[in-house]
Amino acid sequence: MVGPTASLSILSRADGSASLKCPTTGYNVLGSVNAPIELPARRDALKPEEATVEVFVKPGNTTAGVGERYVEGILRSVLQKVILGRERGFPRRGVVITLAIIGGDAVERGDSYLNILPTLLQVSLLALLSAAVPMSMTFSTALLGVTKSGDIICNPSAAEAKAASSLHVLAFSSKGHLLLDESQGRFEFEQWESVRERAFSICRGMATPGADGDVTMGDGGDEARINGFICETVEDHLHRDYSWKIDSA
Amino acid sequence: MAAPEAKVAPSIPPSLSLPPSQFARLQPHAYLLAHLSPPPASNQPSIRANGRAPSQFRVTSANAGSLTHTNGSAVVRIGDTAAVCGVRAELLHTEDIASWSVSQASGSHKRRRLADLGKKSAEEDEEDEEDDEEDRAHIEDLNLLVPNLSLSTGCAPGFIPGAPPSALAQSLSHQILSLLHSTRLVRADDLRIWYQPPNLGPEEPERHNEDEQMDMDAEHSPTSESKPREIKAFWVLYIDVMIISLAGNPFDAAWAAVLAALRDTKLPKAWWDVDNETILCSDNISDARKLCLRGLPVASSFGVFEADAAAGWRPNVIPDAEEQKAQDQKRKKGSQQSWILADPDGYEEGLSQERACIVVDKEQGGKGKTVIMKMEKHGGWTVDTEELRQLVDISARRWDEMKRMLDQC
Repeated sequence: MVGPTASLSILSRADGSASLKCPTTGYNVLGSVNAPIELPARRDALKPEEATVEVFVKPGNTTAGVGERYVEGILRSVLQKVILGRERGFPRRGVVITLAIIGGDAVERGDSYLNILPTLLQVSLLALLSAAVPMSMTFSTALLGVTKSGDIICNPSAAEAKAASSLHVLAFSSKGHLLLDESQGRFEFEQWESVRERAFSICRGMATPGADGDVTMGDGGDEARINGFICETVEDHLHRDYSWKIDSA
Repeated sequence: MAAPEAKVAPSIPPSLSLPPSQFARLQPHAYLLAHLSPPPASNQPSIRANGRAPSQFRVTSANAGSLTHTNGSAVVRIGDTAAVCGVRAELLHTEDIASWSVSQASGSHKRRRLADLGKKSAEEDEEDEEDDEEDRAHIEDLNLLVPNLSLSTGCAPGFIPGAPPSALAQSLSHQILSLLHSTRLVRADDLRIWYQPPNLGPEEPERHNEDEQMDMDAEHSPTSESKPREIKAFWVLYIDVMIISLAGNPFDAAWAAVLAALRDTKLPKAWWDVDNETILCSDNISDARKLCLRGLPVASSFGVFEADAAAGWRPNVIPDAEEQKAQDQKRKKGSQQSWILADPDGYEEGLSQERACIVVDKEQGGKGKTVIMKMEKHGGWTVDTEELRQLVDISARRWDEMKRMLDQC
């Protein structure tokens, strides 16, 4: 299976940026992060002791509508919990995340946003990492569909998602907490439990923490582990950034 | 400032000269925490600031059919949150649909088969499956359901006149629409207006010659051999929800109002008039028929209140999920760290970041097993498998309550 491809810090004027292309769903999302910046209108913020997180989602071929408002709300609540908005320099300021959907099927009015939600979350995480925004943990996401016959499919395409009896998006933190669950369609709790198990293994693998706290990366099998993928992307980027130092050593 | 206050909180009455209502405004977090974790010596039960138990919903009432100029309407009140919903039906002629003839041509084979099946109930399941696909195509692609939610001025402080729809109102509109689509609540067949072209002369003699075919036809409905019936128009349902008072948990109230209004909706009898080439509707109320909804999905929302408001901000203290579980087990008898509050009111919503919403339905009118139609949670990591299992149970109990109430209204 072809895994997703990502690149970091591709925009020069934003504090941090990332793009991610998911081959199975076909979505290509570009994200940029500016943080911390002054928000002129937010001097009287509701919570002055922490940073305000703003998320904007721009669909590929139309203006943003009610669906985008909804997905922005979900992204905001997930990211606000993960970003350390009380670090020095952040309170009363803003973390502005802009996500542009530049490839893949358009999300029609009233369609569920679950297909693209994992990609959006993944891109915002990579962009936040690229902007060096302090975070308490990273996370990884999975999109799963349950077919009418009860099989669980990973990363369903748009057509498969339409035919599926239920769709699930789950996000797990780097410490194993369930950060997000969005499930839609007809299902029972037992089914959801097996979906969660599957998603957990996709996101985190069966990794066992070693004695020194390092996570040993076994072979991921057919499904590349998303957590490992994010680590690799960041490692690659760091390697490139510090190549001058590594070479001279 | 917050830390010493929080310590003082459990023993409010003697040490504080402020009245409780002022304390609630100055230190909302400490106030709610003091209610939820009373000092062990006081022998008081853990109760919310509004007097409810953590898994207790507010008093809910519903009233259907109070707006006379709509096809269906309902007012639902959950505590101090009140939502009014009106359903208005308008006609959409198929000749006004740009791609109708094209999409019809491609799907005509199936449609004729469906029309043939008519009211035959033998292959109920198979028909249902195909019906589903048709339903989806018609309702979703033609946008036959148009919900809109408005949070009007004055429903809560902070809603200023003349402002554009807030992000909350927009996302609620989207949630209602996507839930209407994913639960397939409304049947497309209720919204179709059919026309059966009359069987004119030339075909009659042909039939008389073929006796065998006549025999086969006998068991079909009498119309099956004539021209296929065609859809002339659709009803479009405009579902407008107005939150007239907002005190937390707008989604449950809005969804319950939509559900009650759709149950109340009556569509007049409509037919294609060949002579006028238009759709005519009957004035007679006895001709109007109700919508036949699929199931009764009921939404329940929850908020999570955490004892330590700043727990998430200290990077070094967040334990691994496994460790945390072990710690929680150890602490079981000690002080609780987080509470899942059902149906949070406005005050509690301001204090909780993590939200969960579960929509459940029960098969066979409540006797069958519980089916989850939607489950979402975000904004924190307190709620995991075990908690969700409990929430599904609570939602299932809430379903019984809501069903009783909606049946009465």
